[in-house]
Amino acid sequence: MAERADSRIWGHRFAFLALAFLILAAQLVPLNFRPSGFAGPDVLLAATLVWVIRKPAFLPVLAVAAVYLLADLILLRPPGLWAALVVLLTEVLRRQHRELRNLPLLAEWGTVAVGIVVISVAYRLILALVLAPLPPLGLTIMQAAATIVVYPLVVLVAHYIFGVRRVAPGEVGARGQRL
Amino acid sequence: MAQDKNSDEFAGPLRRLLVGVLVLALIGLFALWRIDSPRVERMRAAAIDTFVPSFDWAMAPITGTANLISDFQSYQQLRTQNQELRRELQRMSAWKEAAVQLRQENAKLLDLNNVSLDPQLTVITGVVITDSGSPFRQSVLINVGSRDGIIDGWPTMDGIGLVGRIAGVGQETSRVMLLTDTSSRIPVTVQPSGQRAILAGDNTLNPPLEFLEDDTLVRPGDRVVSSGDGGVFPADLLVGQVALGTDGQLRVRLAADYQRLEFLRVLRSQPHEPIPDPDNLLAPEAEFFGPAGINPAAATTAEVGDG
Repeated sequence: MAERADSRIWGHRFAFLALAFLILAAQLVPLNFRPSGFAGPDVLLAATLVWVIRKPAFLPVLAVAAVYLLADLILLRPPGLWAALVVLLTEVLRRQHRELRNLPLLAEWGTVAVGIVVISVAYRLILALVLAPLPPLGLTIMQAAATIVVYPLVVLVAHYIFGVRRVAPGEVGARGQRL
Repeated sequence: MAQDKNSDEFAGPLRRLLVGVLVLALIGLFALWRIDSPRVERMRAAAIDTFVPSFDWAMAPITGTANLISDFQSYQQLRTQNQELRRELQRMSAWKEAAVQLRQENAKLLDLNNVSLDPQLTVITGVVITDSGSPFRQSVLINVGSRDGIIDGWPTMDGIGLVGRIAGVGQETSRVMLLTDTSSRIPVTVQPSGQRAILAGDNTLNPPLEFLEDDTLVRPGDRVVSSGDGGVFPADLLVGQVALGTDGQLRVRLAADYQRLEFLRVLRSQPHEPIPDPDNLLAPEAEFFGPAGINPAAATTAEVGDG
């Protein structure tokens, strides 16, 4: 299956990996070491959700797992937990992408918001259950909210720069398969 | 061929299995981290060691642009900054004179007292590669690692004050947990009252002092230095000054410049030589003549062994 897929799909897949790499690198740039009481959006999560809802074929589940495991390791999170939750969320959204593409952007945004809140709460619950050190609650809430707010912007960027558009009704793949 | 027509329906069960295995593997890694944290943290250090240096070329343009912008901003303030610096220099030259005199006096007094300072406190200087990348953790990665002889727990300073401690060593990189991180706890002494306390990071720029015996003896402006308690850090490294927070809690204004950490000095701190048997220090291998049952040396060793 994979060998027969057209090369454009692989190009798009590598484009996502390069974007993830760039987002991680941008987060790591050592500019300011003062702890700020402000948490910015998790752009990587927003981008992943945009990709999986709009063009699931560009984002294989292995790529999600690999990128998030690397992010867990580099960003000093407990390794594996956040990656597992994001993989689960992307799988749920991937299964619904046919329904989601008939809905207006607001409904898609709402679904994503619910998804982000659910995995953030689950993350904190599991950490609390295993008595692992919890990140500050205020920052977690701020980050989840910022990620939800920034989602439409990421949709625009993905649409115009990376060509991640919704599948049009009746559009078929290179071999005539249903998308 | 049939697969190509409608890959979703046919690949369904297999795919679901793959996803299930993937999620289980990730959860398994998390469980392993919870059970055997040091081992997984070593894995993490190795992974960072492998991947993060390859991020360098992607980060270089971003760092460059940011530096350009901040340089441009500083050009605009050049004149006022210049005047300020001149004024400060004038004040500092008076201080310098005082410091030179004090140093000579100190050297004389030390000489008189025949004090020998710890000669093994040498430094390795490293360059900061990345910060922690998330608002939840306060740490930086520096470009010296076990290759350069770095050991977990060594204190790290910038030019002036304590910055943090080494937490996680890779082959070529090591992580410095800053004093502001929520899991940072450093034993400190407040001068001149000599009160002992713990400096507990809480993700703010000015960490609070905890477990102060008597906070009426501590006033804002007092110097805070590391105390060397617990044998974690060498004593008398400058940490900062006491300040009174808006919530009425005593906090520490850190001496290190957290605005800009570029070069960090890792102190090679040698652990104090433990003295397991104080008797032998006074009289090595004291010979005891008498019944073995009341040998005082044997009794002390047994007690030490029990404790």
